[in-house]
Amino acid sequence: MNRRLLAYFLLDTSGSMHGEPIEALNNGFNGLVNMLRMDPQAVDSLFLSVITFDKVVKNLVPLTDLVTFQPVEIRCPESGPTHTGEALEMLYTLVNRELIKGSSDRKGDWKPLLFVFTDGKPSDIGKYKEFVAKIKNIDFGIIVGCAAGPKAEVESLKMLTENVVRLDTTDANTLTSFFRWVSSSIELGSKSQGTGEIITLPPPPAELVIEG
Amino acid sequence: MKIIKVASVIDSTRIYEYVDDGSPKQGGVKDVYFSPDRKYVVAFFRSPLDFNQKDRIKRIVTLYLDNIKKGNAADYFLEDVFRWPYDAVEKEGKTGVIVPIYSSRFFFSKGYQNSDTIKGGEKVGKWFTAPSFRNNQYPLSLDRSELGDWLGYFQVAINICRGVKKMHQMGLAHSDLSYNNVLVDPVTKSANIIDLDGLVVPGLFPPEVIGTADFIAPEVLRTKHLNITDPNRILPNQKTDLHALAVLIYMYLLRRHPLRGGKIWDVDSEKDELLAMGEKALFVEHPMDITNRVKVDQLRKWDAFWGDTNKLPYTITGPYLSELFKHAFVDGLHDPIKRPIANQWETALLKTVDLIQPCTNPVCEEKWYVFDNTSKPQCPFCGTRYKGSLPVIDLYFKFKNDTWKSENHRLMVYHNQYLFKWHVSRKFIRNENISKEDKTPVGYFTFHKGKWVLVNTGLQGMRDLTNQKDVPTNSMIELSSGMKVRLSDEDGGRLLYVTIINQ
Repeated sequence: MNRRLLAYFLLDTSGSMHGEPIEALNNGFNGLVNMLRMDPQAVDSLFLSVITFDKVVKNLVPLTDLVTFQPVEIRCPESGPTHTGEALEMLYTLVNRELIKGSSDRKGDWKPLLFVFTDGKPSDIGKYKEFVAKIKNIDFGIIVGCAAGPKAEVESLKMLTENVVRLDTTDANTLTSFFRWVSSSIELGSKSQGTGEIITLPPPPAELVIEG
Repeated sequence: MKIIKVASVIDSTRIYEYVDDGSPKQGGVKDVYFSPDRKYVVAFFRSPLDFNQKDRIKRIVTLYLDNIKKGNAADYFLEDVFRWPYDAVEKEGKTGVIVPIYSSRFFFSKGYQNSDTIKGGEKVGKWFTAPSFRNNQYPLSLDRSELGDWLGYFQVAINICRGVKKMHQMGLAHSDLSYNNVLVDPVTKSANIIDLDGLVVPGLFPPEVIGTADFIAPEVLRTKHLNITDPNRILPNQKTDLHALAVLIYMYLLRRHPLRGGKIWDVDSEKDELLAMGEKALFVEHPMDITNRVKVDQLRKWDAFWGDTNKLPYTITGPYLSELFKHAFVDGLHDPIKRPIANQWETALLKTVDLIQPCTNPVCEEKWYVFDNTSKPQCPFCGTRYKGSLPVIDLYFKFKNDTWKSENHRLMVYHNQYLFKWHVSRKFIRNENISKEDKTPVGYFTFHKGKWVLVNTGLQGMRDLTNQKDVPTNSMIELSSGMKVRLSDEDGGRLLYVTIINQ
């Protein structure tokens, strides 16, 4: 009897991502899906949901199991704001609707995972702060924030999680190794557990900078 | 990409090389790099090891390795059962082990039926224990050519048992046995135990991991909240290996987990998990307590075939294994001393192989099933009934002059079934030490001109006691119900008793 593991990806598609960064994000993300498909544990239990945010917030890929997940093209406008707060709002609604809680006769899902990728900072900081508090109440298994590129703001992500990865650039190589790292954090559950009990993230590849 | 040289810490004249492309394969605690010729890997522990840990690694690559090399069936263990680390290195304060590369049979040659995504990937056990991957309606099902048949998983399990038996004989515990640490190839019927650098020497080196989810013994999870120095804290040991071994065998043969049933112990998933695998662990097929039965209506459609314990109960594995599953998951689940040891599993698996018969349905996916002791045997996997007469042989040993006692060992006869020395005499025990010569059949059963016959190809002293006639080498006898045949007149020689069903 299996439990599901839900992973939510919030991906920044604001104007500053236009050009090479969005290409790199597409490659990185679809590469991640491919990597996960090589892991039997992930194939057996993982569900993905992708929310993109710029001026408009979209659930680009509604919650889908890894097995039937189809590659997607993530697009972005040439310019425009970064509605990270609104994205969190959508996430909040979706998780509350989609996460199966354990009941007396049905197994619940594992604690969900959240990955937030941004190359800037929230344009809607008020809403962002409001929903950071609500998201923290959901009890995610892991929340990873990724601040990519020179203009990405680490501080706002730090409000959401202690696990913030800073990438100096948004080129294809950097994003690929970031998503490889994401892949190994998703696979953690199936690996040997230490005698200590803290869930730790795997060490990031050398070119990443972990904050905190 | 650069090639880096490192020297052995055992003998500094031994130099190893590895390719560093910046993204090693990451295990739970190690980063793995390949040698340029891909004959070995250098696996570095990410955190520096302390004195004890280094000492343990040294012993594993010297003392215990030598122990295997000097023991029986050394080649079998080092080639076919273990990927044993054979040297240790150090670089910038980090310790690495040198491990032989896996045989090519442990990498998928096709992988998924409909894509190349995992072609070349490692055949970790999980691929073969999850039911969905064998369901060809599943979008990511494995290609038929990767899956093997049911008999193959018996041999896979036998190899794993022998590996565990060997480690335990040397006084070691694996401490993290799981489908991630055992590579299998059901096609060539092989298994390799990997990640052996975490071996625990009881009393000398404590374990560093508690194991992998699904395989951690209940007592380890029950006490995991206690401090590591607390005398009541239970860490992995040989007995917990035996829990993991039982789970592995159950999963390879039945493609479901023995403790993952429908019972919810807590609405919080993490707490529920801890209880279901720990303190409250309960066999889904417990003969008396039905609390944790699988809820068939909650199974995913891909899992329904193997997941339904009513349709494929554990008893389809036959009497010998059923008995051990009861010991492991009923009597011994919370009472580690009662868990069957590796040698018992090996014996039961081998005896069960003698109870296996081919399914007459040419397209049956499992191809073999265990004789169910009924007069109308039926394949539990495809439902095909056996047609025609079916000889069953029971083996007896000489107790006193004219008194023969049952060995509780039955041999199913099918067309071209072989008879081996380990059937003929108590002096031959079927295990890894048997020489190639002694693996040659000494007789075979065949359905010949409408009759079942046993052909003697290598037995001296075979005699049909029912008709008081010797059966010399290169002759045959027709089998009939109630017939008694002495296989050897030497000390330890056995008698076979024939029953023919559906005659």
